[in-house]
Amino acid sequence: MSVKGTKIPVELRLPLAGVTPAPTEQAGQELFPTGNFRFFRPVYRDKMPPCNHACPTGENIQRYLDYVKHERFFDGYMTIIDDNPMPAVTGRVCYHPCEGACNRKDHDEPIGIRNVERFLGDFGLELADNPIKDTVPPVNGKRVAVVGSGPGGLACAYHARRLGYRVTVFEALSKAGGMMRGGIPHWHLPEDVLNKEVAKIEDLGDIEMKYNTRVGEDVSWDDLKDFDAAFISVGQDVGRKLPIEGNDLRGVVGGLEFLREAGFNRPVKVGKKVLVIGGGNTASDTARSALRLGAEEVTIVSLEAPDELLIVPEDLEQAKEEGVQFKTNTACARILGNDGVVNGAVLCKARLEKDEGGNVAPQMEEGTEYEVDCDTVMISIGQVQHLDWVPEGLRDERGLIRTDPYGRIDGNIFAGGDIIRGPAMVVDALGDGKRAANNIDKVLNGLELVPESPVEVMPYERLNTAYFRHAPRIEAPVLPPKERVTDQKMEVTLAYDQEQAVGESDRCMSCGVCNGCDNCYIVCPDVSVVRDQRENGHYSIRTKYCKGCLVCVQECPTGCLEKVPELDFDEEGDVTRMETAFSVFDGSHATQSVPIAKMHEEAIAEYDASRRAKVDAGKGEK
Amino acid sequence: MIYHELSVWTRGIIMDKEARDVANCIANAAAKVGFHSQMISDYVDDPDRTNCLVRKYARFSDEPIEFKFIYENPHPNWVVLVEETLVKAVNFFRGTADGSGVLVVNSAREPEYLLKFLPEYMLQKLSKLVAVDAVSLAEQQGSSPWMFVRDLGQLAYDRMSTEGANERSAVGIGIAAPLLGALTAATGVLELDVVADTVEERDAFYRGAENHRVLDYAETHKHMQEAAGSPVAGTPA
Repeated sequence: MSVKGTKIPVELRLPLAGVTPAPTEQAGQELFPTGNFRFFRPVYRDKMPPCNHACPTGENIQRYLDYVKHERFFDGYMTIIDDNPMPAVTGRVCYHPCEGACNRKDHDEPIGIRNVERFLGDFGLELADNPIKDTVPPVNGKRVAVVGSGPGGLACAYHARRLGYRVTVFEALSKAGGMMRGGIPHWHLPEDVLNKEVAKIEDLGDIEMKYNTRVGEDVSWDDLKDFDAAFISVGQDVGRKLPIEGNDLRGVVGGLEFLREAGFNRPVKVGKKVLVIGGGNTASDTARSALRLGAEEVTIVSLEAPDELLIVPEDLEQAKEEGVQFKTNTACARILGNDGVVNGAVLCKARLEKDEGGNVAPQMEEGTEYEVDCDTVMISIGQVQHLDWVPEGLRDERGLIRTDPYGRIDGNIFAGGDIIRGPAMVVDALGDGKRAANNIDKVLNGLELVPESPVEVMPYERLNTAYFRHAPRIEAPVLPPKERVTDQKMEVTLAYDQEQAVGESDRCMSCGVCNGCDNCYIVCPDVSVVRDQRENGHYSIRTKYCKGCLVCVQECPTGCLEKVPELDFDEEGDVTRMETAFSVFDGSHATQSVPIAKMHEEAIAEYDASRRAKVDAGKGEK
Repeated sequence: MIYHELSVWTRGIIMDKEARDVANCIANAAAKVGFHSQMISDYVDDPDRTNCLVRKYARFSDEPIEFKFIYENPHPNWVVLVEETLVKAVNFFRGTADGSGVLVVNSAREPEYLLKFLPEYMLQKLSKLVAVDAVSLAEQQGSSPWMFVRDLGQLAYDRMSTEGANERSAVGIGIAAPLLGALTAATGVLELDVVADTVEERDAFYRGAENHRVLDYAETHKHMQEAAGSPVAGTPA
């Protein structure tokens, strides 16, 4: 396509002419249709939206919000499940790092991405058929073992199956779900939603679930080596003990153990006055579950100051609404008992000191001790896991499994979830499972594991915010506190209806990604932007006619159009002079290089074909 | 006989004044030291069209100028490109004698990189390629680093200033000053101080005179040209 040198005709190269033909002259217009105006060129180049970048599973959030905006819910659902097998779960329990990264927070309020995800997840659960089944290829004969059926294990099983592997999942307990079942209370994540999501994954076929099989007892480390690859995602399900006097009295229970009993629908009893020790999300969930199970007074005792609490802000607010009391900057010195049963505790003022390594140490203040009455003490100060069955060199002193940057521990054995990163989010484990499945696929195909290439994240400053009117975030409805504390199974946060989901998706600014808004098409003064469909289509720049005025770049609301210096358009080993330069394809939605002449030819060919068909039909009749 | 022709290539309206200043200052400085000199602005190329290619001419000689009434430079041997992409745009060496063209480009790139945009028949005429980063050497205006990073508001202001109706009257400002410095230093025909007297922003002028990169193409490629049988011409016609 490129021609070295200008196409100046021979007769114009006479030395006495001395000048290049002006654009106004006939000869000049033969050289370049509108003269040589352009020194920057608009190019469609999609950037990474911050929400997508922040999501550990890499959900294509901009794309599914765009689908929901146009009420194409099925397409939106299929977009999510490419990355995340259980949107109905994460739509309820995710701590939404995407909303924290959303550029809209600098404009007014971040978009309720989690609520839209939940809407789509529920939409998927209500489908009569399981549409994921159509995306699954036949098995390729290789087998992958997954240890643990929490979010990490299920995600790895799901993605590995979608890549064609036969999967065996080992689960120590009688039901799948891991921490989603045994750590997240029913009022947060209803049991039937989790069951349906798990059933959809099992439904893919060639995923064998082995319940009541604990690795380390029923299956050994060496047994895992019979498989082509393995993924370890056992989580951390053993609550840490509080090393104080009285921690073995009756009435002292682990918060996590309490949540697990409740989660598996076993009968649990709590006293009237409950003390929850800990300052994280587990403490909050424990306290709120205790309220629902009949406790009259629940107090969270935390070393952290009020602004240091590691509880998600909305959960903290809901807990306070429900009547959970907080004693911050307070430590429990010892637990008092009578006849081996708890009847009180000694608290004192304290603060949390952090050293530079990130280790925390409680500092108690002498002489500030006081007694409180209580009949149950719940300990939620972190989790550990017993890893005796893992070979010695692969564990570290914190009780975690050591991995390389790709999540690999040894050969074809990968790990993910809480067991490599400590207590973290469900979505982190889902991301680890997806990464492990992709890496297992690479390793088994003999490919090298390489670091991901860096991406360009779209900053707020590069959006043209004049196009985005301020609109308040649509909050999901929440049950009133008095009603919701009465039942352990009553969901606190309710779902968007269709109108709310569409309205909230409409607030998306589509950061850095072309969403077919037609703005460039409208503003171009030289009619140099063409589109191939009436709406939401692909655009291309007619580089023969574009003058490089950059109005389209200035006015692009999403910032997916960029200006690129003409001098950057070179090809290897050959120079492309301006009048013969053509653009390269870049970006997923807008194409740059569709030659306009070709589009005409196609249209003419189509017209001819239809005419011919008519004529042929006419002949047939005669 | 000393005879030089300067063609300044620029873009209509938004960089019109810069090119006019370059040609004006060279013609003025040459007249001051006793040369016969001319400066001509160009109206052939529709200069009131934004970004359109526009030329400005200057020529000076120690004898009365033979081509006095010829409007456009027939044999330019000094060429200034006010904007870098012009290097791949047109044949600005039309009529130049072989091996005598001095090309000054406003660019932050290396001269070696710019060289690859010149086709064979232009390389044959090239003597020196000078790259000067005039945008960063110029006096900075306000918050935006002068010329190439402008928003629509500034562009609208430029559009009102067609043909100098609404612009600063001082001569030799903005990116014109470092471009003049590089041109004067690289050609060495006029003295730096003489040209500097005609330039408003003297500091930027001297910055340009010191900070530019020269690629002596005729010197390094002489043997190749001789081997190809194309003799290097001495003086312009």
